[in-house]
Amino acid sequence: MKVLELKNVHKIYNSSDIKVHAVNGITLDFEQGEFAAIVGPSGSGKTTLLNMIGGLDIPTEGEILVDNTDLSKLKSSRLIDFRMNNIGFVFQSYNLIPVLTAKENVEFIMNLQKWPKKKREKRTLELLKAVGLSDRINSRPSKLSGGQQQRVAVARALASKPKFILADEPTANLDSKSTETLIEIMEVLNKEENITFIFSTHDARVVKRAKRVITIEDGKVLTDLRN
Amino acid sequence: MIINTAWKNVWRNRTRSMVVITSMTIGIFAGIFTVGLMNGMMGQRLDAALNKEISHIHLNQKAFNDNFDIQYTLDDIEKINAAILSVEGVEAVANRVVINAMANTATKSMGVQVLGINPDQEMTILDLDQTIIPGTGSFFEKESRSNLAFIGEDLAKELNIIRYKIEQSTIDSMRTREVPDEVLVKLEPYIGKRFSSQKAFQKEMKSLLSPHESHKYARIILEESWSFRSRSKMTLTFIDKNNIQTGGMFRIAGIYDINNSMFEKSQIFVLNSDLQRLTGLNENDYHQTIVRITDIANTELITESIIEKFKNLEIQNWKEIQPELAMMSGMVEKILTAFMVIILAALSFGIVNTMLMVVLERTKELGMLTAIGMNKKKVFAMIMSESVFLSLVGGVVGMIISWIVISLTASKGINFVGAQEGFEAMGISSHIYPSITNSFFIIVTILIVITGILSSIYPARKALKLDPAEALRTE
Repeated sequence: MKVLELKNVHKIYNSSDIKVHAVNGITLDFEQGEFAAIVGPSGSGKTTLLNMIGGLDIPTEGEILVDNTDLSKLKSSRLIDFRMNNIGFVFQSYNLIPVLTAKENVEFIMNLQKWPKKKREKRTLELLKAVGLSDRINSRPSKLSGGQQQRVAVARALASKPKFILADEPTANLDSKSTETLIEIMEVLNKEENITFIFSTHDARVVKRAKRVITIEDGKVLTDLRN
Repeated sequence: MIINTAWKNVWRNRTRSMVVITSMTIGIFAGIFTVGLMNGMMGQRLDAALNKEISHIHLNQKAFNDNFDIQYTLDDIEKINAAILSVEGVEAVANRVVINAMANTATKSMGVQVLGINPDQEMTILDLDQTIIPGTGSFFEKESRSNLAFIGEDLAKELNIIRYKIEQSTIDSMRTREVPDEVLVKLEPYIGKRFSSQKAFQKEMKSLLSPHESHKYARIILEESWSFRSRSKMTLTFIDKNNIQTGGMFRIAGIYDINNSMFEKSQIFVLNSDLQRLTGLNENDYHQTIVRITDIANTELITESIIEKFKNLEIQNWKEIQPELAMMSGMVEKILTAFMVIILAALSFGIVNTMLMVVLERTKELGMLTAIGMNKKKVFAMIMSESVFLSLVGGVVGMIISWIVISLTASKGINFVGAQEGFEAMGISSHIYPSITNSFFIIVTILIVITGILSSIYPARKALKLDPAEALRTE
């Protein structure tokens, strides 16, 4: 089942006198349960593409369909709600809320979605257990290592049971051991929850573990390989 | 959850939040305490005016107040008293003979208004009997063959009835009040010397003492050297019923102090029987009836009822007699609320500045929150809650401190001795008892919340304008 379709997506940035074609006619689709890596050199358009897939940026041309809903046609307020209910985000620098504990960070989206307390707590504990942080539920981000913070971020992204998770360079700030742990956790969750992971990365160890590797350069897809 | 996060965000940068909270606390405390002082001052002025000076309602002939002509007496005073007392809410009435006169002693003369009263009747209206300076006599308690006059402290000073004298007992008394020996030694050569006026005594003391000694002990010396010669007398001259100048010798029955120098200098109370006799008026000739009511909230209603009964007489309530009092009592809450609004408006700039820094510092986090699905309403609510918490925490602490300080000072009062003359010139005691109503605390709480909300609007709008993709890229 297709969860995401990109049809001839373009993104052109107009600065004062230069036109930058950051994404140049990309057409892709993603099935449920995929574990896909988008790779490419800096400036190749990876982040712009992920931003558009995540509804944080609008394509200049083309369509991005999530569950047959065209993101570019949604109004700003509906788009925010759509993101909350359908897309999970993992950021390079974790971006946890520093004043909240690991548990509260994971619960945050479920709170926005008004989940009942019991259901919310059950899901939070399950996810923190799945990412191996059952013993750190009441720790604030400042008391967690980078790897642990990123695992909390993954749990938070999964909390609302999104259609897919977008991770922009999720291992860029992690050491090799933490990278290994995080990738293992993402693989397990991908299998167990049958959730689609799409991540951009430079890390060869991560690329090796991806089941699909899309290489882009100059805003175009160079290769789209499945392992 | 938004509220919980906002509350935790307030304490994210403790130092910065504490600076805002402390400024809010100081501002609110300063504002409320000043309001408490002003409120106490105005309350005391109103209380003094109604209970010691003018009472609630005056009734007299229509032309009487133009020039206080002795001919304008009230007809059938018993009937008038009975009719007024029949009005619901009236507590007591008293009748007065009122004439303008000249008060003279051997050294000085002053224009005054002489009020002929029946002391028992007058005591049901005013508390003048409680304002007597100890040791100066009584409120017409002792019978005398002489005419008696009850005069104000400031008039007594003007007429040199109060004098200043240093004796050995005065020096001993000053020692018990911790006046140091080096000051007392300077005063010893003055033992037995008498000063006929306060001004002359103060001038001498100023030349005798150093500025520091003068600042610290002049008031104690003045208070201890104050003396009143019992059986002091003065003459009052006035026009009698036949427009012939007449007068009489009056012995000082007592001296009152109501902390209103203008009233004290101009109003002399004598027995109405003495005044009627000296002016040739009949026993039942009175110029004025003053009325005390049970509740000043009913002033207008009762005034209307009395006007209905006496359409050919002039009836004025305290609001008409002293319009500035009416304005003061009617406007006091509005003026004091406006005062708090100004303080809060100044403080709000500090909150706006802090919240702008918050938005700037948390650009990336706000971008993340929008990205994961926090809508604009919730972002706005979070920023606004933080701003309200900042102002409310400081405000509540400020209100608690104000309440404690006002409670502690309300019973004993604060004595602004240095400014006594200025206060008394305005008819206000320099000993102020701060007071504040619970409703004012509620008004201030509402104002603080409004300040928090208004201060958050600009920073929150900035936050809402952030583009999540761009915000996430910031470092």
